[in-house]
Amino acid sequence: MKMTKIYEGSHQWIMFGRDEGKPNNIIDTNQYVVRTPNRCLLLDPGGAELFAPMMAAVLHHAPVDQITDLFASHQDPDVISSLGLWDQALTNAKLHAPAIWEGFLRHYSCESIEYVPIPDNGGTIKLESVELQLIPAHYLHSSGNFHVYDPQAKILMTGDVGAAIEGPDTPVFVDNFAAHVEKMRFWHQRWMPSNQAKRVWIERVRNLDIDILAPQHGRMFKGDDVKRFLDWFDALQVGIAV
Amino acid sequence: MTNQTKSQFIAVASITSELSAVMVVAKEISLAAANAKAIAFRAGDKAKGFQPITDFINELAKETIELVTNINIYALVLYRLTVDEFQKTAAYNKFELATKMAGDATYAKSMQEPVNQAKLSMQDCQRQFKRDVSQLLGQLEAVMHHARAARVIAANSRIEASQAGEYLQSLQAVAESVDKAAHTIHDNVQRCRIALSIYRNS
Ligand SMILES: [Fe+2]
Ligand SMILES: [Fe+2]
Repeated sequence: MKMTKIYEGSHQWIMFGRDEGKPNNIIDTNQYVVRTPNRCLLLDPGGAELFAPMMAAVLHHAPVDQITDLFASHQDPDVISSLGLWDQALTNAKLHAPAIWEGFLRHYSCESIEYVPIPDNGGTIKLESVELQLIPAHYLHSSGNFHVYDPQAKILMTGDVGAAIEGPDTPVFVDNFAAHVEKMRFWHQRWMPSNQAKRVWIERVRNLDIDILAPQHGRMFKGDDVKRFLDWFDALQVGIAV
Repeated sequence: MTNQTKSQFIAVASITSELSAVMVVAKEISLAAANAKAIAFRAGDKAKGFQPITDFINELAKETIELVTNINIYALVLYRLTVDEFQKTAAYNKFELATKMAGDATYAKSMQEPVNQAKLSMQDCQRQFKRDVSQLLGQLEAVMHHARAARVIAANSRIEASQAGEYLQSLQAVAESVDKAAHTIHDNVQRCRIALSIYRNS
């Protein structure tokens, strides 16, 4: 599992991905970790297949008992099917996930972990002195969907928005936006169902000060590429399968 | 899934299927008892010795049904335990793998506690499964006991039937069906016990 520190300040952001031991037939995912002095939050911790390499990677940054919070942007298996395993490994943790998915996500087993339902209009996660904002992103692509914004680090974690499917060993940042577009087009057209939801989200997100836009698959966008992505997405027609 | 887990799932599932067959047969006995009662009533004095037997058969069938209902609840508990054990074992294996993969990571040692915990709860499940299997075997023994008693009654019924003149044939048929049913129950329950006995608390 490759680890890349993407923010270092009073707290840290680390991106985990490009797992070389991953079976070929499962989709590659990016996991993000927010680390404060005594706590640790895993964003979209990944599928059950990924649990062991992910746990092993986190142990480079935090002891198990300091993994206090998990966040699931939505209900998909590549996002959170590892929940049942985290549930047995962590003794004092919370899962922040969309309220409407609670009854569904509990199928993965969530007994010792406390499910903290995120209401439709969003909320916050407080991690020691850090306050992260939960930005509604419903229907992008899931009907109950949130992104995480860190105003201090200026990072927006966007789940499946901004994703691209690429081969292993792909760089973690977009380096040529024009060339990257073709890797994202079909994904966004096919997975994102609603032009209206997209418009509302872009309006909301344009008001945020973002250095890094961090999707759950593919590469992150940095600096001017963030705006380029929003403009490109704004102009794209989605929901093409009907 | 290991072979051990697979056969445990199969053993638990087989109890439920064998027992549903026992249930059908026990209901047949109860029906036979009602039938016998009607015949004995018509036969009057000629089947005097038969009347208390029919009550006894009926009672026996009712008790068997009750026992099997209880055992079915137990079988469900065993099924849940098997699922639980399967999950705990999977977690334990993943935790061990994570520890191995962490190598000399700064906080690798912190995994020791979850590994130990997972191992303990996995062993807990195994122990509880064995304990519950022992209890279930005891209940199955009770059903077998009932089946044996039913066969003895069937033998007595045959003797009583021989005194019943023109009712001889129909009463003998009743005795026959009770005997056959008891035999089936005995065999099915025996199969359950064999499937489970390898998990018994030793
Ligand atoms: Fe998804
Ligand atoms: Fe995804």
